[in-house]
Amino acid sequence: MDHIRVIDQTQVMAGPTCAMLLADLGADVIKVEPPGGETTRRIEPEIAPGVSAAFLAVNRNKRGMTLDLKQQRGVDIFMRLVGTADVLIENYRPGVAKRLGVGYDTLASSNPRLVYCSISGFGQTGPYASRGGYDLIAQGMSGIMSVTGHEGGPPVKVGVPITDLGAALFGVFGILCALRARRITGRGQFVDTSLFEAGVALSVWEATEYWYTGETPQRLGTGHRMNAPYQAFRASDGHFTVGASNERLWPRFASLLGLDRLLDEPRFADVGARVRNRPALEREIESVTATKPRSYWLERCEALGIPAGPIYSVPEALTDAHAVARGMAKEVDHPEAGRVKTLGNPVKMSATPPTMRNAAPPLGHDNTAILTELGYGDTEIRELAREGVI
Amino acid sequence: MKALHGVRVVDFTQAMAAPFCTMNLADMGADVIKIEPPGEGEPTRRLGAAEKNGHSATFMALNRNKRSLTADLKRPEGVAIVRRLVETADVFVQNYRPGVADRLGLGWDQLSAINPLLVYCSISGFGGTGPYASRVTGEESGAPAKAGIPVSDLACGLYGAYGILAALEHRDRTGQGQLVDTSLLEAAMALTVWEATEYWTTGRTPRAVGSAHRFAAPYQAIRASDGYFTVGANNDKLYEAFCRAIDRLDLLDDSRFKTNAERVRNRAELIREIELTTVGFSRATWLERLASEGVPCGPINSYPETLSDPHTLAREMVVDLVHPGAGEVKALGIPVKLSDTPGAVDRPAPLCGEHTTEILTELGYSEAEHESFRARGVV
Repeated sequence: MDHIRVIDQTQVMAGPTCAMLLADLGADVIKVEPPGGETTRRIEPEIAPGVSAAFLAVNRNKRGMTLDLKQQRGVDIFMRLVGTADVLIENYRPGVAKRLGVGYDTLASSNPRLVYCSISGFGQTGPYASRGGYDLIAQGMSGIMSVTGHEGGPPVKVGVPITDLGAALFGVFGILCALRARRITGRGQFVDTSLFEAGVALSVWEATEYWYTGETPQRLGTGHRMNAPYQAFRASDGHFTVGASNERLWPRFASLLGLDRLLDEPRFADVGARVRNRPALEREIESVTATKPRSYWLERCEALGIPAGPIYSVPEALTDAHAVARGMAKEVDHPEAGRVKTLGNPVKMSATPPTMRNAAPPLGHDNTAILTELGYGDTEIRELAREGVI
Repeated sequence: MKALHGVRVVDFTQAMAAPFCTMNLADMGADVIKIEPPGEGEPTRRLGAAEKNGHSATFMALNRNKRSLTADLKRPEGVAIVRRLVETADVFVQNYRPGVADRLGLGWDQLSAINPLLVYCSISGFGGTGPYASRVTGEESGAPAKAGIPVSDLACGLYGAYGILAALEHRDRTGQGQLVDTSLLEAAMALTVWEATEYWTTGRTPRAVGSAHRFAAPYQAIRASDGYFTVGANNDKLYEAFCRAIDRLDLLDDSRFKTNAERVRNRAELIREIELTTVGFSRATWLERLASEGVPCGPINSYPETLSDPHTLAREMVVDLVHPGAGEVKALGIPVKLSDTPGAVDRPAPLCGEHTTEILTELGYSEAEHESFRARGVV
């Protein structure tokens, strides 16, 4: 995507991640921040004095510039930048961009080819449009929290901020679709997605269960609502995961456990029956698995072609040989913090692979370079800095 | 016009991640053709506890907007049909274990040789290389309870769509197709942004934090008299508004809770203090007060509540369809809205082989050939 220029007017996670996905593919992503920096720069923990680890995590491969959009000259520079851009991403509450004078209508009339993507808590329309929304709120309202955790326990959300990241992925998907449409129509367009909708769109099984059975999906711990056995089971030294729900794998797993007798029982005759009788199935299986260590079961499952795995901590996952071989933990250079670690991109491409070129930019790192590209002279740039426009 | 008008995708996939990938492309207007074994179709047609009139709900949920072509890939003629289809395609997506497609003559090397413009996407459990490449699919997660939704499947589908579209952009400029390779494991790892950051920066092993945030507080489910509600007061301004809303301005002077960093460190004490007050009134009371102070907050909805919520409906996240076998069914809408070329959910999942005749005709096979294929069970 190295022919594409992206203006990244975002904060915190969903918007920055969306823009970073384009930056990983080579797009020239320019993060535009107020002269004080976006809020994520002040989130702890620090990786070096004044350098936020959270900010670094979702802003690599970008260039950084500061602009005070409350000053007219800041807006003028911004509009000049928009004239050179293909994509703009913002994640303000609906209405804020317009108030700043950089709403979709204004930008589209000055650059009709611009693809403008808004990521918000609830989307630009509908009764909750003006509400503030975070991943937690969206996980709660989309139903995801109602199915996460163990029956009877306190509310639990998905451990990773899945609606933030889901909205980032749907956002970048929408942007790439819009860029493709632009090849044909010559026009840009408005791309509108939200954390709430991402949460709903990711609830494929849960909506399906409700619509087709009429039952309210419940929390299942590690279980699957359409499959069994497909969950974590207890071994003598901890838990391991197994997915052996289909008619090919279930008999294999039952034999491995010496539980062939279960194959003839009506309670476990097919997937539907096994799902309905999950607690009984779990008791039968754990009565055997709990007698041997995890490694014993994992080796045998591997040999028999039964999907199974350990439950890793984050450090174990990041240092695992396979994760390392697939480039999931990379290092990049930061001007102040030195070599810093960053997650790899999970998509491998043979001709135009994602690359890790630089760490997140220090505040205003590329002001001079970008303003020079836009045609501003040295004197003017110094004056803009003096007056706090940049 | 839809955004992906004119893009033809050959969908040689099963189960969830890859069908979800191609469904997103279909929603945006791509012509997605699902290849299935004659007779029984892909295994998901027989999977799961939910069905309507004998049609699997899970299959219907992931294969709308697609066409279905049956071809027996154990026979050279079946493979030849798919290869002829690939000559007309822009994208090929498969999620078999590394090596399976190659054995069938449908590997990246084989298909790019007959169509150098092809974008070939492979979705697997662990990716096409590395020590676990040949392992069977399985989810790995750092959490003691699995996420309630299958996060790595769904994210992997979206990462696949992202890779495919980026590869199409490159192909349109250069005439060069390529291999896009992603996996459930990598998708799941790519989602651990805060957790990897915490580990790399502090050296600590990230723990399960219930409903809370690793780097912000108060940001979690809070107890009211009749259950829980969520609140996200993750900066000083919102924290102040939160204290005002629950009438606990005294907390602002408490030295344990002055900054976000201190609130994270002393989260347990902070929540204890907050809940002393919040358990006194109902969720509805608190949600109203917090909203009036502009503090992000919300209920914890069940799926019946979410799927009938006025906002869900206003954003067209629920779509009604008529399936030829199952009758009236519901489907989830499209979460990303495009103003000029919006996606749409136009048709339900296909019956097995529903479009075989139509597609064979498009590929130039004569009626005599159709008959012969059918008679011998090739399609």
